Amino acid sequence: MMEGILEYLYNPLVLSILVNMAVFLIVTLSLNIETGFAGIPQFGRVLAVIAGAIGAGAIAGRMMAAMMGLPAGIEYVGDQNFVIVGELNKALESNPLLSIGALILSLAVAAVMGGIMGYLASYPAIRLKEAYLGITLLAFGDALQIVGMYYDPLAGGTAGIVVPDVFRFVGTGEIRFLSSTLIILGIAILVYLYVQSLARSPFGRALKAMRDNELAAKVYGKDIVNLRAKTLIIGGALAGMGGALWTLYTGSFKALTYNRLTWTFWPWAFMMLGGTGNNLGIVLGTLVFSTVRSLIYAYKTELTAFIPINPNWLEYLLIGVIIIAIALFRPQGILPEKPELPLSRKKIESIRASLAKGD
Amino acid sequence: MQILAGPIVQILMTAIGFSGGLALAAAGITLIYMTTGTFNFAHASMTAWGFYIVFSLYKVLLGGNPYLYFPVAFIFSGLLGVITYLVVNRWLLKRGADMVTLMMSTLGVDLAFFAFINIFADYLTATYKVNTRLIVLTTEDIILGKIGTFPFKAITIISVVIVVGMALFFYLLLNRTKFGIAFRITVENPALASILGINTETIYLFAWFMGGAMAGLGGAILSLVISGTPTVGNTVIVPEFAASIVGGLYSIYGGLVGGFLIGLSQKLIINWLGSVLGGNIVVYEPIIPLLIMAATLLLYPEGLAGIDWRRIFSRSKSSRR
Repeated sequence: MMEGILEYLYNPLVLSILVNMAVFLIVTLSLNIETGFAGIPQFGRVLAVIAGAIGAGAIAGRMMAAMMGLPAGIEYVGDQNFVIVGELNKALESNPLLSIGALILSLAVAAVMGGIMGYLASYPAIRLKEAYLGITLLAFGDALQIVGMYYDPLAGGTAGIVVPDVFRFVGTGEIRFLSSTLIILGIAILVYLYVQSLARSPFGRALKAMRDNELAAKVYGKDIVNLRAKTLIIGGALAGMGGALWTLYTGSFKALTYNRLTWTFWPWAFMMLGGTGNNLGIVLGTLVFSTVRSLIYAYKTELTAFIPINPNWLEYLLIGVIIIAIALFRPQGILPEKPELPLSRKKIESIRASLAKGD
Repeated sequence: MQILAGPIVQILMTAIGFSGGLALAAAGITLIYMTTGTFNFAHASMTAWGFYIVFSLYKVLLGGNPYLYFPVAFIFSGLLGVITYLVVNRWLLKRGADMVTLMMSTLGVDLAFFAFINIFADYLTATYKVNTRLIVLTTEDIILGKIGTFPFKAITIISVVIVVGMALFFYLLLNRTKFGIAFRITVENPALASILGINTETIYLFAWFMGGAMAGLGGAILSLVISGTPTVGNTVIVPEFAASIVGGLYSIYGGLVGGFLIGLSQKLIINWLGSVLGGNIVVYEPIIPLLIMAATLLLYPEGLAGIDWRRIFSRSKSSRR
């Protein structure tokens, strides 16, 4: 039985669906906190994602290199990149504890970087409204991608860099991809549980109150500026971790791949399909979309025989049409948002029953 | 890199042509936003279609003179706008959808239009064996004369003429015709406008047609100023957004002025920086419009049109007194 499942998991298509789903789940959940709960039009999701990827790839990598006495300056991202990361990988391979430490360090740096970006984004977010804010955030994301692409000392520029393989301790080859996918999936589940508890907390309810009626929230003593800044920092930190995990999984960082379409607009589409403001819906939307994308990607050559157009464009067309259809026919998504109960239903019922008895 | 090598006259001429294209597209975004409240992401593909219409008709299918196909680009992208309105936007407006849904729906439209551009480009490549992935029409422009030793290209004049003509057209339309009055009422208060018997749908349809058409015309102008790939829309959409936002989103003239502000500063500042700091800085050109937009918004959260110019003017007069 166990072996059967393992064999199934070794299928590269299944792995690709799972890892795509896990990474995008983290990013989309972070978007859901900001847009679904707090109502901030976050069209610059890629900003925190790319910052996290740089944090894990370039900054955490340099920290590791410095700790091991390897060159960590400009050489790290230059010609020596391969050699230095090779040395680091050898050390990580021989010592599982060190490797786990490196994973945690990478994620921590990524979360801090993403959080900083969220904090920076809060500067316009408390001053601007709707379209002005959305486009300003979009501009922030694009600007960081351009810097990442052309400023070589940061993270290798257009050529990109290879990243220390923190999953190396389980081995190389298939087993490495399988176990790293499972680890990323595990982290995604933790993030889901965290975001879900956030939604049920007083903080989550305050965010929804602010989204639905800012004035009323203010009247009840909620500090709007503080709430928005906190939301953006939490969302940014989570998105940064998402970007970092993708970089760590693929083992390389290239600013070119962290574009607006993939890391801002795709998560938006996932969120809209699943249900804005509903975490379970986000899981569903992400699962559906990553399956479709991975299937198109995997069966590209087979598809070419059936349709006269390049399957790449089929992906764009399909996702475009899905977005339009959701907007037109089911704007609340597959699973619409519903009020989150602060306690379990059973507990609330029993409290209500005991109160009724008391009367 | 080429820009750097060129002297200031040539840079200025390129910058003017570029700004003209940007200004038209930005005014189109503004026009759609002020009437329907939809911030149109599909402008990227509408601009790119204008670009590709001129390229394909002039270079591949018919030949002749690139300017002959400007009206075709205008009408084609205008029809794309009409399709967007009739198929998507109209129903969302009727339902009273929120701003984010309106915005995202146009993103879906943009992805579909983008796919069609690529399918069209593939078709051209397969049928006519031309390279549709890197288009350079800048060398094909009509040369009117010479300034010193540098060619004076027609697009510099024509883009300015088109922009001024468009501004004049809107001025006359909005101030001298019944339709213009109906348009302005609809922008101010759609509910009241429909009570007065104005068909707001006609106004919205007009806005989407003109908005798309201006994007197409902007793309047509840009095809003679910059080189492009099917992703050209993705590249120019950011300065277009920036220009529209700097212009204030509530004034067509604001969009036109914003286009020139963003376009001229993008090309001129990067050239100046290049000459001061060295050629490596040129790659950061796309950041300049973003910085200008951010700076404008942080000073004036509603863009240039949100500034009360009259008050500033009277204050400066009174302080002089």
